[in-house]
Amino acid sequence: MAVKYVLKLYVTGVTFRSQAAFKSLKKIMSENYKGAYSLKVIDVMKHPKLAEDDKILATPTLIKILPLPVARIIGNLSDKEKVLLSLDLVAVR
Amino acid sequence: MQSRTKKGALEKVFTGIRGLDEVLGGGVPKGRSTLIAGGTGTGKTVILNEFLYQGITQFKENGVYVTFEEDKRDIIKNVEGFGWNYASLIAQKKLAFVDAAALKDVTFESNQNYDLHPLIERVKYAQKKIKAKRLVIDSLDNFFSRFQNKDAIRQALRQITAELKDLGVTVLMTAEKSGPEQDLTRYGVEEFVTDGVIEVALVKGQQQFLRRMFVIKLRGTDFRSGIVEFEITNQGLVVYPKIPVQNISAKTDFQVRKGFGIKGLDDILAGGIPQGHMVLVSGNTGTGKTMFGMHFLRQGISEGENAVFVTLEEPIDQVKKTALTHGWDFNRLEKEGKVSFVTTNLIDVSNDKLLYQIISAVEGINAKRVVIDSVSSLLSATMSEEQARQFLIQLSGYFKAKGITCIMNYLSLANFGAERGQLLGSLSTSEMRLSSVTDAIIMLLFVERGQKIKKLLNVLKLRGSQHSKEIFSFEIEKDGIKMGEKYEE
Repeated sequence: MAVKYVLKLYVTGVTFRSQAAFKSLKKIMSENYKGAYSLKVIDVMKHPKLAEDDKILATPTLIKILPLPVARIIGNLSDKEKVLLSLDLVAVR
Repeated sequence: MQSRTKKGALEKVFTGIRGLDEVLGGGVPKGRSTLIAGGTGTGKTVILNEFLYQGITQFKENGVYVTFEEDKRDIIKNVEGFGWNYASLIAQKKLAFVDAAALKDVTFESNQNYDLHPLIERVKYAQKKIKAKRLVIDSLDNFFSRFQNKDAIRQALRQITAELKDLGVTVLMTAEKSGPEQDLTRYGVEEFVTDGVIEVALVKGQQQFLRRMFVIKLRGTDFRSGIVEFEITNQGLVVYPKIPVQNISAKTDFQVRKGFGIKGLDDILAGGIPQGHMVLVSGNTGTGKTMFGMHFLRQGISEGENAVFVTLEEPIDQVKKTALTHGWDFNRLEKEGKVSFVTTNLIDVSNDKLLYQIISAVEGINAKRVVIDSVSSLLSATMSEEQARQFLIQLSGYFKAKGITCIMNYLSLANFGAERGQLLGSLSTSEMRLSSVTDAIIMLLFVERGQKIKKLLNVLKLRGSQHSKEIFSFEIEKDGIKMGEKYEE
């Protein structure tokens, strides 16, 4: 049974880097995860208070809230191997 | 209270930390960044905290604390020891935190393709929310070690400091020194703090660690150069600035004489000690030095002049007890505010702190006479002869400027029972070295003659004044010192 992934992606505005992170993430999840997952995208320019609450320092930052433990991944997520490792996903060959 | 001082074109902002603004020649440069550099435990974080706290409480300037080191909760807890209620200040919107401390969540870097915009936004958001005029960052090293992408860090710092400068916010930052001899802090953070660098250090004393501060550079003028001592008390920092010796040009007033109130002695001194003089009373143990000092104080008090007794040989209670056996109630005089006592631990004695203790005591009761018992005890293992000399030079300058006359006891190790030709003995090299800061020398001596021990006194030097050059005998009796006849062999 697949555990539900709950993810938050913090970005700064609608930039090339933000878009790239979003696209990379969607690709990785769809290729390597069969279950459903929830993904929220938050723009720090529009919600600085949320950034303060979640203690975000860099963008893009991806926070994996579930499954535990909570993990944070910084960078535009283009390095697939590293992202899989940090999300605790197994690569689908 | 206004926090600005104008020195030339560059304004400075008072830190509000005791003694520090004097050392800095007015404070830290306004709207700029100053770096506090030093190793672990040197007090950097306390300085940041007090800068914000005094800013709020003394100068009504709100402040933001950006922390990479400890988290907000721990910082609030740490300052409770000083009696500072951060929670209340936060509720009153006078203090805000940007909590960038390391999180319990694991953080990975997928690559170096990121920027630190959120940090910049959070800092701007906090500053704007409470209209802060002060901001601190603790610490730059921790910030740099957190992320692989050092360029992203530098860019963020550049942007933050630029924006804060535009807003006229005064910033303090901390960083570790990369080594005792190194000039550069580990990550080369100097580019962000070109306006001021203050170094703090811990130095090993005999019984405890001593704190030292050194202003490496400070944009603007007039900061006091040299190493200064400071302490962290339970109310915050206390810095002991050096008294600028070159500013003091006051001199002895030969028209005003301070007597001992001992019949005969004041005649020998042509009326008494000229006001402002530093007098060395040198003698072996038991020659009565302390008694002379007490006479001097008592005489002053009877003429309406308050006095300070600096006791480094005996505890204050012992001094009072001894005085009482001669009928002098120093306890009562202290209660009446006519006498003040100063004492200190001689191991790891701090020159500057003792100086300030004496000055505080003097100014507290507007004293005109001071007795130090003894200066020879200052030459303990932790104060070198040169340090003692510097101490006395600073003290002498201050006393002359204020018209204060000072008796300093010196335990001389001259031979007991000197032969006829050696009656006066000779000044030891220590005494010689101190003689440049003394204006007068009174020597006390034992002499053994025909199975009796006689006490002798001689005024060896009384700068700028006539005095009897003869040797006189004296006795210590129940109600004090009595001068005797001229001593003839």
